[in-house]
Amino acid sequence: MECRKENRDGVIVLAVDGAIDHETAAAFEQAVMPSLDEAEAAGTGLVFDMSGVDYMSSVGLRVLMLAAKAAKQKSISVVVAGLQPSLAEIFQISRFDKIFTIYDSADAAVAGVRG
Amino acid sequence: MQVKFWGTRGSLPVAMKADKVRGKIVQALQAARGKNLDDDQAIADFVDNDLDFSVAGTYGGASSCVEIDFGDDEFVLCDMGSGLREFGFDSLRRINEGGKKGAYSFFMSHPHWDHIMGFPFFAPAFMPTNNLKIHGGHDIEFALRRQQDNPSFPVPLDWMGAPREFHVMKDGEVLDTGAFTVKIRKQPHHGDSYGYRFEKGGKTVVYTTDAEHKLDDLDDFNAHIDFMRDADLVIFDTMYSMADAISVKEDWGHSSNIVAVDMCHQAGVKHLAMFHHEPVFDDAMILQNHTETIRYEELVRPGEDVLRISCAYDGLVIDL
Repeated sequence: MECRKENRDGVIVLAVDGAIDHETAAAFEQAVMPSLDEAEAAGTGLVFDMSGVDYMSSVGLRVLMLAAKAAKQKSISVVVAGLQPSLAEIFQISRFDKIFTIYDSADAAVAGVRG
Repeated sequence: MQVKFWGTRGSLPVAMKADKVRGKIVQALQAARGKNLDDDQAIADFVDNDLDFSVAGTYGGASSCVEIDFGDDEFVLCDMGSGLREFGFDSLRRINEGGKKGAYSFFMSHPHWDHIMGFPFFAPAFMPTNNLKIHGGHDIEFALRRQQDNPSFPVPLDWMGAPREFHVMKDGEVLDTGAFTVKIRKQPHHGDSYGYRFEKGGKTVVYTTDAEHKLDDLDDFNAHIDFMRDADLVIFDTMYSMADAISVKEDWGHSSNIVAVDMCHQAGVKHLAMFHHEPVFDDAMILQNHTETIRYEELVRPGEDVLRISCAYDGLVIDL
């Protein structure tokens, strides 16, 4: 699992590749929290670009929930983009689609966060 | 070894109302359009094969009560929810028919109301010819006595004539009854709850309800996976969606279908029975939950072994 962070027009985009499971969840969480701080400093939001994620179990969902809670505290947006079909199903089954706004692409998500 | 579910609902018993029954009949008749149902067998076959369980049947509404039959002449129960009442009458029938005697062993997850509410209506407890052994990690006698004390109930515990023994088990204790072994494990829940791992003849059943396995408590998470290791059947609390369980219902003491599947996969469990259904859910919602859980298992299956997933309902029998 790899995470790549970039700033697009003031919005922090965290692109994730690979599987988020019990072996990689800690590293994922370590990448997420500083990204939230940067998004807070920019006053915008964080986009999870999940287009490279082919597997996520409950531990990965937990990190996303932690991010959502932290974002609420920081008054910033956290959105998800580029879900592969299997992950989109997991979001629906876990009801995470009710918690996160989901975009088809990172570009659309950045535009959405910027408003 | 055989497991029979007498109560599968969490928090509170529920009962289906007339409008839901009408809805099922309407759905069944709509599905029957154009079918040749001229004789009783054709009708029975149609009901059994062509209708979803949420239409042809019901998951029921009794609160937690699960029987484990080890093939000998005694009765073994997990919890005393409202399903215990019907079990009690059925057990007396089975004693009369031969093959069983009036010896009952209970293994209590915890004394919250939905898990003890059936006991005042447990007919065998009134009969001096029967005997009861009640095991748990809590002082269950205190809970039962208080439940049946004024002003809550008119029949105090001491009016129940069957001899009773209460055995408080320690976390991690293994009890060898001679017929089976059982290990107890403390679980995260308000006031604690306890899970039980039953083993006999190479078969293992784990009863683990009312437990909120938080993903950031890896010690508990991994220890519970070990507790469930290689079980033939795990009966697991899947009351909430994952999203609810770690947000608005965090610290409410229950788990989700997602966590259940993940833990069962890691533990090498063969069969998961979803249990402790949310009382707000009707049969269609529980069926949806079941279907989605099966699909989730397909999506995240780590190897080739398929985790079989049942959705427990009042009256379900699982043979191991």
